[in-house]
Amino acid sequence: MDRVEAAGLGISVVGHVALLALLSLALVTATNNPVTPAAMEVSFVDEVGLASASPQPSPEPAAQARAPEIGPVEDAAPAPPSPAPPVQRDAVPAPSPIPAPRPPSRVQAPPAPPATAGTGRTTRRPGLGDLDPRAFGRDPASQSNNPPAATMSAQARADIGQAIARQVQPCADRQAVPYGAGQIVTQINLRLNRDGSLAGRPRVIRQLNADGDNARYAQRAADIAIAAFSECSPLRGLPQELYDVPRGWSNFTLNYRLPT
Amino acid sequence: MRLAMIAAAFWGSAAVAQTDPPTVPAPPPAQAQSGDDDQLVVDVTGGRRAALPIAVPYMPTPQAADTAAGNTGALGRQVAEIVSTDLRNSELFAPIGPSGLPNVSFPEVTAPNYGAFAPTGAQHLVQGFVQANGNGSITVGCYVYDVASHTELARQGYVVQPRDWRRAAHRCADTIFARLTGEGGYFDTRVVYVSETGPARRRVKRLAIMDYDGANHRFLTNGQWTVLTPRFAPNQQTITFMTYQDERPRVMVYELDSGRTRPLVTGNYMTFAPRYSPDSRYIIFSMAMNGNTDVYRIPVAGGTPQRLTNSPGIDTGGSYSPDGSRIVFESDRGGTQQIYMMNADGSNQRRISFGGGGYATPVWSPRGDLVAFTKTGGFRIGVMTPDGTGERILTSGGGAEGPSWAPNGRAIMFTRGLSSGQLWYVDVASGATRRVPTPLDGSDPAWSPLRPN
Repeated sequence: MDRVEAAGLGISVVGHVALLALLSLALVTATNNPVTPAAMEVSFVDEVGLASASPQPSPEPAAQARAPEIGPVEDAAPAPPSPAPPVQRDAVPAPSPIPAPRPPSRVQAPPAPPATAGTGRTTRRPGLGDLDPRAFGRDPASQSNNPPAATMSAQARADIGQAIARQVQPCADRQAVPYGAGQIVTQINLRLNRDGSLAGRPRVIRQLNADGDNARYAQRAADIAIAAFSECSPLRGLPQELYDVPRGWSNFTLNYRLPT
Repeated sequence: MRLAMIAAAFWGSAAVAQTDPPTVPAPPPAQAQSGDDDQLVVDVTGGRRAALPIAVPYMPTPQAADTAAGNTGALGRQVAEIVSTDLRNSELFAPIGPSGLPNVSFPEVTAPNYGAFAPTGAQHLVQGFVQANGNGSITVGCYVYDVASHTELARQGYVVQPRDWRRAAHRCADTIFARLTGEGGYFDTRVVYVSETGPARRRVKRLAIMDYDGANHRFLTNGQWTVLTPRFAPNQQTITFMTYQDERPRVMVYELDSGRTRPLVTGNYMTFAPRYSPDSRYIIFSMAMNGNTDVYRIPVAGGTPQRLTNSPGIDTGGSYSPDGSRIVFESDRGGTQQIYMMNADGSNQRRISFGGGGYATPVWSPRGDLVAFTKTGGFRIGVMTPDGTGERILTSGGGAEGPSWAPNGRAIMFTRGLSSGQLWYVDVASGATRRVPTPLDGSDPAWSPLRPN
């Protein structure tokens, strides 16, 4: 090995060590910055708080996506000389056990959402904005993109549905079912009071799979559906603010299916 | 138990739904029809196949009065006992009481104190009363309630002569059974069977009739001649059976009203295995003629037998479908005893049983959906559909034969014990069996239809 070779070997060794150090350093830096997934909103159904699907219940309606169209309100009505004065509606002071009375309005306004945690902030909305379904429930003044607290979101529906099903299930399991009966589905309409008790006798809306040989068991299947619910009534722990919103639990449908 | 939840609707339809009136305490019917779309929908699956817990307290009387069958107060207690026993016998109910339950006052019969019965765990409640009427008859009132929903599910009143008080109780139980199971009742029925006594070599076999629960038992023949295979006419006016009277084995017809007996067929041929057509106008039976046994049909009043089968071998044990259009029977034409099917005129004969071992005594259920039979290998009772599929053995332990259907087509009475028989029945759905009490040994039971009112 002459000097030139020795020098080359030395440079090579030094270069490799430097490269290794560089890579190791890069690795250390990388582990210091793990990829964090985007935060996901999770609702634990076991907790029957289910005030709403929104992680941060907001008393104000969601921010409006676009400006409401200004135009005639009713088909037959002549165009007003000037844009109609906006119907002023204050946010409902919350929490409120009953829906706030709505201001008189010729157009069908959306229900006043009873809020869970009122902040006292006032929201305003243009009266004609209600006519635009896209703008429904959305407030141009709002910066919040959280769903309003007291509307029945898909998640709230799932939560309340599970809460109801879980309370009815023990009574459903107790029902003695005719041996010969197939999987009849009985759809009953239930109207509840705010305290979770039945506001009226459950009403059978319709039955599925109750024809042919199953027909003889149809009446019994309806009995069982009503008895199962009645036995476990009143329901408890359902959120008051979602009582009488559209598709709230004041009035809902129970699909009762006999076991296989 | 499965539990599921369906989201009512997706958000896109929600905005449209907002144009509906908010706060809907009582939706108009049109809205309810489309409940899936604009209402919260909850799915629940639940229930168990088990005996139904039902409370049957003693039945009060508005005013105690003596009748030919005893005091109405005592009758009220006995009626409740019978209703409770009937329901328990069916194996589909788990009655609670009458003893040990709170007393029910007469006004409470129609306004139940549900709270008093809730602790018993009963899901249903039977209440009733017994009242003496001015003309010597009695009225038995019968009510069934749902305890959880505080609802009256059914009510019936029966005005009967005091001697028929047990029938009123059975009919009350039938009403409850039908309302709560969806099946027809079968408690207000009778059974005709062969009562047996004495040593095997000199067995005395008498025709006997009783209520389905063994009450009101009486003998129809004196035992001088052996009798076999009695059958109730669907109209319950006659009974047909086979006897060895005068050493001539042949089919006889017994008239229940007059008590008279006459041979079904004139002539010297051996006749056996009779059974009525559903309209009670005909009897099909087997006749051995010139070394061949075939199934024949003849009017109940008598006449010329019409031959329905003609294959070599023994064709016997015919039984009509409920609509009278077809006949199921047994035959050994293929070498072993098997079940065959044919049209009522004898056409289109074909074998339907193909399982291992032999099959005998096919009986078409009154509902038409099943054929009961004796599986001769091991002597067990089973059912299959009329096309021969879905065979299911109902009894275990062997020694069972001769099924007879309850009028609801969901229970079968049969003989158990080949040498000294007992009467048993089995619930077809649950397979639960129970012995029918008889004063002596018994065999060949034939269940009557529901008795006419």
